[in-house]
Amino acid sequence: MASRPVHFIWMLDCSGSMSVNGKIGQLNFAIREAIPEMRQAADANPAASLLVRAISFASGASWHVGEPTPVDSFSWEDVHTYGGTDMGAAFKLAAGALETPPMPQRALPPVLALASDGQPTDDWRAGLRAIDSTPWGKRAVRVAVAIGDDADKSMLKEFLGNPELEPLQAKNPRQLAAAIRWMSTAVVKDASTPKVEDAKPAAPVGPPLTKGGDEDEIW
Amino acid sequence: MTAVRAPLDRAADWELLRGAVKGVAKKYSQDRCAAKATAGGRAVVLAVADGHGSAAHFRSDQGARWAVQEFTACAEVFAHEAVRLGADAANWPGLRAAARLLPRAVGHRWRQRALVHDASSPAHGAGPARRAAARARRDREGPAATWDLAAYGSTLLGAVLTPHMLLCWQLGDGDVVLVDDGGVAHTPLSTGPDMGDETDSLCEPEPWRKTRTHWQPLTGGPPPAVLLSTDGLSKSFADHQGFLDFATGVCERAAGQGVAAVQGQLEDWLARAAKYSGDDTTLVAAFATAAAGTEHGTAVPDAHGTAPATNDDGTTEGTGTA
Repeated sequence: MASRPVHFIWMLDCSGSMSVNGKIGQLNFAIREAIPEMRQAADANPAASLLVRAISFASGASWHVGEPTPVDSFSWEDVHTYGGTDMGAAFKLAAGALETPPMPQRALPPVLALASDGQPTDDWRAGLRAIDSTPWGKRAVRVAVAIGDDADKSMLKEFLGNPELEPLQAKNPRQLAAAIRWMSTAVVKDASTPKVEDAKPAAPVGPPLTKGGDEDEIW
Repeated sequence: MTAVRAPLDRAADWELLRGAVKGVAKKYSQDRCAAKATAGGRAVVLAVADGHGSAAHFRSDQGARWAVQEFTACAEVFAHEAVRLGADAANWPGLRAAARLLPRAVGHRWRQRALVHDASSPAHGAGPARRAAARARRDREGPAATWDLAAYGSTLLGAVLTPHMLLCWQLGDGDVVLVDDGGVAHTPLSTGPDMGDETDSLCEPEPWRKTRTHWQPLTGGPPPAVLLSTDGLSKSFADHQGFLDFATGVCERAAGQGVAAVQGQLEDWLARAAKYSGDDTTLVAAFATAAAGTEHGTAVPDAHGTAPATNDDGTTEGTGTA
């Protein structure tokens, strides 16, 4: 007997604009801070084994953490900025991981967590089609956070693939940390709970309430 | 984790096994099951139903209960007829036709109960918004879509076993496992590994169209052991073979130690499985006693059908000669 794996894939925008106002640093910090809570969320459901990895995209895309890593032994190495916003390349990379194989058929729906502050600079729709054409891609729980006001929110909404869902909005480091924490915990908890969605793609629970009105909007 | 332990049910030709445990961290189980002898002990009816359980299906425990009750009611009538017709193969085509119609009858009866319940206590409220949504669904999908019964959604697996015939039905996930007297297990209604937790459901329009049926005349050798389980069991195993090995192991122990001994251990096994799948886990099974096997020995020894063929409508049939 064995627990069912939940694959969690970060897709992180590392374009040049992420270096403005320390966004990339805050993103690294938020992810690092979220990992212990991610472990707690995973511990709360021993029936699921949480495996984490990450893609960074800028000018092209590459696996930042390529090996699906048990969350208990997952540690975060900072990502760095390096160019454009080739989100489509990141989607295609993720799509390759969502084929069966390498993704096992015996698993819970994977989680695709996207964070971006800009407009894609490549054919992101082709990448999204690649994800949608994989067995697990169309079943994946998808979450997205728009960092700052320049992020292409309509594109992120299209990525979510569910008209009832909106991308999260992070206008400052505190909101980004809240969004990352929610992606890492509530979504993981939801995805790792066996349930039935009647042949519809799994959808996460509602987004977090992030304070914003009384804070400086620095992004 | 709460275990449901049923008293051992002993029929003339069959011994029955039944166990159910609640999933880890669940408030209550949405699985329901039945295992009962009928037709004077000459036949058994088995059923398991798995209510979907997530927030959108918050009445699925009731849906699962009705699924088992309505299937059992229909299957008992079928079982009596199957026993009455006995080994006369000339009557089997009629029985097969009746078997194909059974899912429709069960679906209608289940839907009727859900509609009555929802009418008296609307799952989604009874305000203007709901009426508008119902009108929109009717305009979009026709009269059958007027009501949204998703709150009651459930899968359903059932079987009827007589000394001469085995019928199995499956809507949605879960497993029907047959173990022959050589200890070989197979899943005649399997459509391959399920991905995630998607499944067909009684709450969908015309669910009988998605119900798979397996028919197997028992014309040689003893009847196979029949095990029905919700997906919480198979999903606790690392691979399909591990699950089949478990089924074989249950049968071996039932043969070696007696069904009563297995019944005493079953809850512990299911509870262990539930820790890995996280889901409600239910299993019912029927084993032929020597009485059933003896009668069987009079039949054609080499015509035992074990390799089902798939029809266009998704049903499978044993290859035994009728």
